[in-house]
Amino acid sequence: MPSEQRLHPATLLFDLAGHIKRFAVPAVLVIFGASQSSGGPGGMFGRVPSGWESWLLVMLVPAVIISVARYLSFRLSYDQDGLVIRSGLVFRNERHVPFKRIQNIDAAQNVFHRFFGVVEVRVETGGGKEEEARMSVLPRAAFDEMRRRVFTERGSVVPEQPAGDVAPAEEAVGETLVHLSLRELLLCGFLENKGMVLVGAAAGVIWESGLGNRIMGQLFGGSEALGRSFFREVMRGIFDGGPLPLARMSLGLAAFIAFLGIVRIISMAWAFLRLYDFRVTRIHEDLRTEYGLLTRVTATVPIRRVQTITVRAGPLHRWLKRATVRVETAGGAGARSAAHVREWLAPLIRQENLPTLLQGVLPGFDLAAIDWQPLHPRAFARAVKPKLILDAIVTLVAAYTIGWGAIGVVILLLPWSIVSARQYVKHLAWAESDEMVVMRSGWIWQQMTVARVNKIQAVAMRQSPFDRRAAMARVRVDTAGAGEFTRIDIPYLDGAVARGLHERLAGQAANTAFKW
Amino acid sequence: MSEPDSVADGQDHSLDPRVIAMQRITGGLFTAAISLGSLFALGTALIVGDDIPGAVRVLLPVGWLVLVALGAWQAYRWPAIHYRYTSYRVDEEGIEIRRGVYWRVVINVPRSRVQHIDVSQGPIDRRHGLGTLVIYTAGTDHAKVELAGLAHGRALGIREHLLPSGAGDAV
Repeated sequence: MPSEQRLHPATLLFDLAGHIKRFAVPAVLVIFGASQSSGGPGGMFGRVPSGWESWLLVMLVPAVIISVARYLSFRLSYDQDGLVIRSGLVFRNERHVPFKRIQNIDAAQNVFHRFFGVVEVRVETGGGKEEEARMSVLPRAAFDEMRRRVFTERGSVVPEQPAGDVAPAEEAVGETLVHLSLRELLLCGFLENKGMVLVGAAAGVIWESGLGNRIMGQLFGGSEALGRSFFREVMRGIFDGGPLPLARMSLGLAAFIAFLGIVRIISMAWAFLRLYDFRVTRIHEDLRTEYGLLTRVTATVPIRRVQTITVRAGPLHRWLKRATVRVETAGGAGARSAAHVREWLAPLIRQENLPTLLQGVLPGFDLAAIDWQPLHPRAFARAVKPKLILDAIVTLVAAYTIGWGAIGVVILLLPWSIVSARQYVKHLAWAESDEMVVMRSGWIWQQMTVARVNKIQAVAMRQSPFDRRAAMARVRVDTAGAGEFTRIDIPYLDGAVARGLHERLAGQAANTAFKW
Repeated sequence: MSEPDSVADGQDHSLDPRVIAMQRITGGLFTAAISLGSLFALGTALIVGDDIPGAVRVLLPVGWLVLVALGAWQAYRWPAIHYRYTSYRVDEEGIEIRRGVYWRVVINVPRSRVQHIDVSQGPIDRRHGLGTLVIYTAGTDHAKVELAGLAHGRALGIREHLLPSGAGDAV
């Protein structure tokens, strides 16, 4: 049974070819450059003995040694559950990849590969970032054996998986979960403010092309000093009680407001083009998203691939009783299995429709029934401390540079720090149920993230020294494709509460099977 | 499967005690390399630099000695502290790893979320019969969870336990 497979000897050849290819361009440049510059006595390299070019090959030696070591140490074998890859002469590694977890096996074969009868094989599982196994190159027969073993094993283990996917083949009319009318569309563009991005890009282009200076010159009447003297006058007006250039200030203000207005209008145009007739329908277990005026995009996301859902609302959203909803999905079996995508579920939705939408995507999720749990009662004291320390540093620097003006800095910073820490703690809350864990956060921009328990990959509880002093801890829930701002990471929990939550989540996750 | 739960006993375990000696060796080698490198730099600076004042000429080597002594002390002491605060527990549900002396963390990886597993050994590991267990998940922050300093046989045993086995445990 232990039929061990080594790499094909042609591996060395292909590796060498690869190194030379990577090495060739810089080498040619060096040789070319040197032959040009060392023509005279004042060359960059001075007098170099002839034939020095061959010494460049020495640089290939480490790469070749690594290749040989890899070739000599690589062993591929199979046990009853998966494939086993041993590699490394000095630092030895033994990797077990279970058959069940293998998402696909890629094989590449170019003309040279075919000549030697070998293939370059890549095995992919759902694993996060690194590639699982690259075997370059294997004899053709070994690849066939691998494919046979992997797929017969998988076939015997999970017969229901493909069946479940293929069944709902007939086209069905789904229930529409989200649809943006024209008014909502424009409102969405207004709130998203994508125009700023476009303006930024345009500014970059103008600047790069050298048009910027000319436009600035036109705008400010040909003198660059004018802009600066304007600011100087304003500063003098504020600090030294000089006359304020009111006329020009109001003109500038008007221009600024007009600029913001134009940006918003561009943004609305963007939304009109990009998100025109945005529609999400639920067809059986899939969500179908369609949008776009010129390029009509249709995307289908199986509901079971939804990893987390994030609802966000800024101040304007709340004032207009709206919110935005995004989902984080992770690709399933097939090509690009580990690709994680963040997608709109609703660029804009009325808050009263939110519970229905969430229920459509997460059956059994009742927004109104969430039992929000607060943080530790002393969380505010913890949250405000780092801010106060930062304030102190800023104030000291200010006192050093601008003297008594530092008092103004304190007057501005201190209340802001206290209020923002207070609000941050007040708005942070979490909840759990048998199937979900939910966290909400944010004061000005509020957001709520829901993760399904069966999508949890790992649960971690962390305690910094400060946490331990205050008997607190933070709990982080790791899912596939968790973004920096959409992860569930609850700080300032009571130590006992955190331990309980951590254990329950880990237990629940262990008792549910993870499916892509 | 065949020998049930020799590793999955649900008890907290420390690492293999040999890890202390092993980490002292690696730490010592590291400290030695850094000290030699800095000694060389210091020597060159003192020989080449003519305009260095006399006080600094004395202070620099003294400072170097103090730093090297601190580094050596740390390389000797730290592995034992680290050992005291690292533990793991394997049970039917998965593995729980605790580590961190000042910043502590407890990570739980359920068995059903394990994608694949490495067991690796460096040269010093091999001499001491130790190995590192590396668990890969489909997550983001914890896509790769490492547990270094296990007895090699034990690392293999944990791997056997965590990997989905045969047909018994359908996904």
